[in-house]
Amino acid sequence: MSASWLLAALYLTYVVAAAAGFIGRAIGASAQVFVEAVHLIAVTLGLALALAIGGHVLVDGNIFLNGGWFMADPLGCVFAGLVALVGFLAGLYSIGYVRHDVASGRVSRARVGTYYGFYHLFLLTMTLAATSNNIILMWVSIEGTTLSSAFLVGFYQDRPALEAAWKYVIICTVGVGFGLYGTVLVFSNATAAFADPASAILWTEIVKHAAQLDKSLVPIAFAFVLVGFGTKGGLFPMHVWLPDAHSQAPSPASALLSGALTADALLIVIRYIVIANGSIGPAIPQTLLTIFGILSIGVAAPVIFVERDIKRLLAYCTVENMGIIALALGLGGPLGITAALLHALNHGLAKTLMFCGAGNILIKYGTRDLDKVKGLMRLAPASGAVLIAGSLALGGAPPFACFVSEFTTVVAGVEAGYWWLMAIAVLLLAVVLSGFGRMIGGSLLGAAPAGMKSGDLGPLILVPLGLTLALVLLMGVYVPKPVRQVVAQATESVLHLPQAASDAGPGTRSALLWPDVLFPHPRAGRAASAPDGDKTAPRSGG
Amino acid sequence: MMTDFLLAAVVIPFLGAALTLVAPMRWTRYICVSSAFLSFAAVVALLVLYWTAGRQGFTAPVWTVAGVTIWGVTGDDLSVLVAFAVGMVGALICLYSVGYMTPENKEHPDVGRPRYFFFMQVFVGAMAGLVFSSTITGELFFYELTGLCSWGLIGYYEKEKGLAGALTELILTHLSSLGLYFGAAVLFVETGSFSLAAISDVEGWPKAAILLGILIAGWGKSAQFPFYTWLPKAMEAPTPVSAYLHAGSMVNIGVYIFARGIVSAGTVPEIVGVVGALAAIFTLVFAFALYFPQKDIKGLLVYSTIAQLSYIFLGLSFAALGGPLGYDGGVAHLFNHAISKSLFFLIAGSFSYSAGTRMMPRLTGVITRMPVVGFGFAVAALAIAGVPPMNLFFSKFAIFLGGFEASKAHPWLLVLVLIAIAEAVGTFAWFTWQFGTIGFGSPSEAVAESKPVAPSMSTAIVALSVLALVTGFVPLMWLS
Amino acid sequence: MTGPTLVNTLATLLVVAALFVVLARKPAHAALLYSLQSLILVGAFVAIAYLFDVAPLYHWAATSFVTKTVLVPAILYFAFRRTEASGLPPPLLTPAATVALAAVVVVVATIAVRKVQLPLAADFKPVMVVSLSMIFLGLACIITERDILKQIFGYCLMENGSHLALALLGHDAPELVEIGIGSDAIFAVIALTFFATKIQGVVKSFDDRALMTLKD
Repeated sequence: MSASWLLAALYLTYVVAAAAGFIGRAIGASAQVFVEAVHLIAVTLGLALALAIGGHVLVDGNIFLNGGWFMADPLGCVFAGLVALVGFLAGLYSIGYVRHDVASGRVSRARVGTYYGFYHLFLLTMTLAATSNNIILMWVSIEGTTLSSAFLVGFYQDRPALEAAWKYVIICTVGVGFGLYGTVLVFSNATAAFADPASAILWTEIVKHAAQLDKSLVPIAFAFVLVGFGTKGGLFPMHVWLPDAHSQAPSPASALLSGALTADALLIVIRYIVIANGSIGPAIPQTLLTIFGILSIGVAAPVIFVERDIKRLLAYCTVENMGIIALALGLGGPLGITAALLHALNHGLAKTLMFCGAGNILIKYGTRDLDKVKGLMRLAPASGAVLIAGSLALGGAPPFACFVSEFTTVVAGVEAGYWWLMAIAVLLLAVVLSGFGRMIGGSLLGAAPAGMKSGDLGPLILVPLGLTLALVLLMGVYVPKPVRQVVAQATESVLHLPQAASDAGPGTRSALLWPDVLFPHPRAGRAASAPDGDKTAPRSGG
Repeated sequence: MMTDFLLAAVVIPFLGAALTLVAPMRWTRYICVSSAFLSFAAVVALLVLYWTAGRQGFTAPVWTVAGVTIWGVTGDDLSVLVAFAVGMVGALICLYSVGYMTPENKEHPDVGRPRYFFFMQVFVGAMAGLVFSSTITGELFFYELTGLCSWGLIGYYEKEKGLAGALTELILTHLSSLGLYFGAAVLFVETGSFSLAAISDVEGWPKAAILLGILIAGWGKSAQFPFYTWLPKAMEAPTPVSAYLHAGSMVNIGVYIFARGIVSAGTVPEIVGVVGALAAIFTLVFAFALYFPQKDIKGLLVYSTIAQLSYIFLGLSFAALGGPLGYDGGVAHLFNHAISKSLFFLIAGSFSYSAGTRMMPRLTGVITRMPVVGFGFAVAALAIAGVPPMNLFFSKFAIFLGGFEASKAHPWLLVLVLIAIAEAVGTFAWFTWQFGTIGFGSPSEAVAESKPVAPSMSTAIVALSVLALVTGFVPLMWLS
Repeated sequence: MTGPTLVNTLATLLVVAALFVVLARKPAHAALLYSLQSLILVGAFVAIAYLFDVAPLYHWAATSFVTKTVLVPAILYFAFRRTEASGLPPPLLTPAATVALAAVVVVVATIAVRKVQLPLAADFKPVMVVSLSMIFLGLACIITERDILKQIFGYCLMENGSHLALALLGHDAPELVEIGIGSDAIFAVIALTFFATKIQGVVKSFDDRALMTLKD
């Protein structure tokens, strides 16, 4: 049975919504409600379709469209789902936020359509990147994300916003240009080496025949890809555009940029890890990723502690979290890959919460300067509570989501034998937590500045935040089963050649539950045979 | 049945906390005290059932993912005893807070915002969760959760010093928790399980690494060197919170997880005992030296807590080196210390309440003017000094015996035991002298003008004093 | 002249034209030179297509002609034709230094390409060298120019370099792919032009040293 229409419908949803936005812009101020209505329908429908695709992939296997150019596989589903989810949550928040911008005169009513138009164009390109099986198209989509989101970064059209947008486009197009070069190297090599050159453009085919690729070329290509897409992913030292762009965009757009886009770019890196694993083995990619990962954490963590602009602080936190994902990928193994994928989801949710929460600060105080923001908890208790919870979540504290994936990363590191590296990483994460603790103590608690009116923001703003917080909490205490399964299958597909997965029938596929993949420890059998016990309960096994 | 009560003790406070967030503000304090007492009642029911069922330890997985238990619970002599102590103190503190967190409070008038009762309940629930955890991941989860709760409570007044103290607490205990992260990682890598019982399946260096990781995490929560600085700063918290941190929660976590690790490990690598004992004796001497400059009774509270926790670590380390009595003494000391320290906090509060100062130089001749408080102060000070028949004497004595036991195999431990005894004698001398100055002589100005303590306070002081006088051997009997 | 020689000669011309694009001071001139460079690129595509008898490459050449030789230069020309060189910030490097840098880039690229073992590339090492050189020349242009308009041209050069490599090594790719890459470039240039114009409107300068509001 073909479920290709689901994928096509997902693209079409965003295309239509983007078109509606631009039509609304053409009509002008009177179209605001129409544009908002289409936007809400589109983000909701997009999420529903993405979840349906995920469910379908879990049960019946991969979905292909247009001769295999487009594909929903478990790995892509993790990220397409993330994009749709963040798009939905930040999309809900956008309504209240943009209306506030209009009311405060920062944005004219007529330009609301522009915002939503680019918002959906951005979602479309990110979704394409996550569900593309054509490696050139992957690059085109990522380049497309830069161009569509640049207009969101520069949306306010004031001096800092334009500067940020300029830097963003220049650095990312140049960076992603390196990605194109890597892509071309792999593609041309595959064309020459494969029996069927026509298939050389498909990622699935390249992975299948990865062993035939030139072993001296693949490391070069991988380095190009890592630098190129790592630029979009915000890895040090290519991250310089990120704090500017993330701090200048409207807050819900920052959430998309940080929560969805950076992870989406790293997905492309993961795709090439799979190719490299099949060709030259995991050693070189893992080493490179580990270095980029730990450096990104190391550079970002101290900045998080001292930065006084809340959105820049969050932007550096993005660099730090992308570092964690890269590090987890570098550690490899089932635990490392699982940790990386889970962390992409968890970070996306937590960062959506925080960037939107930072939006509340902007609305309330009109500044991002943490030295001027005081006592939010007194003025707007609900916003304050959400921001406190979000900060702790990003700091990696339980019971919030990031704790789970960061802990898994540490276990993966110890398993891989990188004790010392993990020690450095967790110390840096402690710095991050203290940075957030400092931020909470300095700006969210304490007395409010004299003369500020207290009162929380309306339900349009608070309900999306509450929803996001609930998800962050849920992912921290109980990862829902379908999510575990998708992550498990995605991990599986990263670690093994995909024919193993596609050859297996639908039944065996859905039977691959996460734990078996997550904990394939040589001595795991003992854990099952040894019941928990204590000194009074004699233990068997062991 | 027992598992149901056990889980109820953990879950009820969390449900109460969730309810606190949505309930009208004036209800929150009653929700808090109800859930804390219900949780404690569940622990008592568990204790009774456990006793009548012949004290058979049991373990039940709660969240298992394909053979790997992420969180499970265990009921045995250790967890039931400690849960009883921390549950009782927690419930009493919540009760005390109902009256304390009001605008009528002279020193800290406060409406008692829902946040306070929310964190308090999460704290109580997390304590129960930690004590009953059968997995290291469960310990880690609740360990971090209690860190967050005390962070929220220490900075509750949102004054600069309080917020700074809260941040110090958060950073230091999080840093020390990294030991637990590593312990958990090593345990899983070695055994494919997070169950604490699996520690006994590990051998050699990995086993030592797990236990040392747990030990480091323990130092953080129990305010041992070099992590101790958060405890003095935590005195900025609302007084019931300080009392809870000292007697019913935070500091007990550290020694508890170490005790749990030793119980689960079977044979303990020697290095763990050596490191534990040396660090404990160092912190002990260090804290002792800091008794002398203290003028405020609060200072005595802080450093006496640190020293008593060092004794517990010392006892547990003796047990790791072949002196099982040290384990009994250490765990009993934890229990006894909870009672004595609660008493000590009440005394400090009473001085504030009736004499308007806690500065020892301004307090003389207490016995004649304030007999009940003076009597309580005597009991508390002598208990800390380990004088018979106060409760801490029994447990300290057992720790020394454990040290002598262990020194048969490791003669150098005798030196540590002698240092500890010297510390005990020194503490005794210092506290006796302090008590002499404060208790006798002509009443100072502050004491002369003091108002009498409220009847409820004197009742509580007398009750706790009696407990401290007569219950010293109870935990030892329970453990034997 | 044999086929490969023709292609290699065209490639050499590409580097020279690229250098002129970098050196041109007036944006309108740079746009025209860029158009010329792209025309040479299209010529190279046609030559490669003829040599290997690959039909898709003729389509590539056609689309590249439309996008690179006509559209992109036209956009840049009409957007900035009134901008005089005197109003623009001077480059970091003197013309002589720029030429020297280009020479270094070519030498480094030659050394790098010597190692590559692609069968298709065997006869076209100079083309590979040119493609790499153009990428790094473009990058150098972006880094050393103070003028943000010049940075747009730098991007265009990089893009041409990648495109040359793609045509040489991956001309089997479906046309749609090529169209995708080509139109991506147009959109990138449109976006950059849009922001450059806006920046000129707000900041009253094309100097990237004026863009310092966001430094940490």
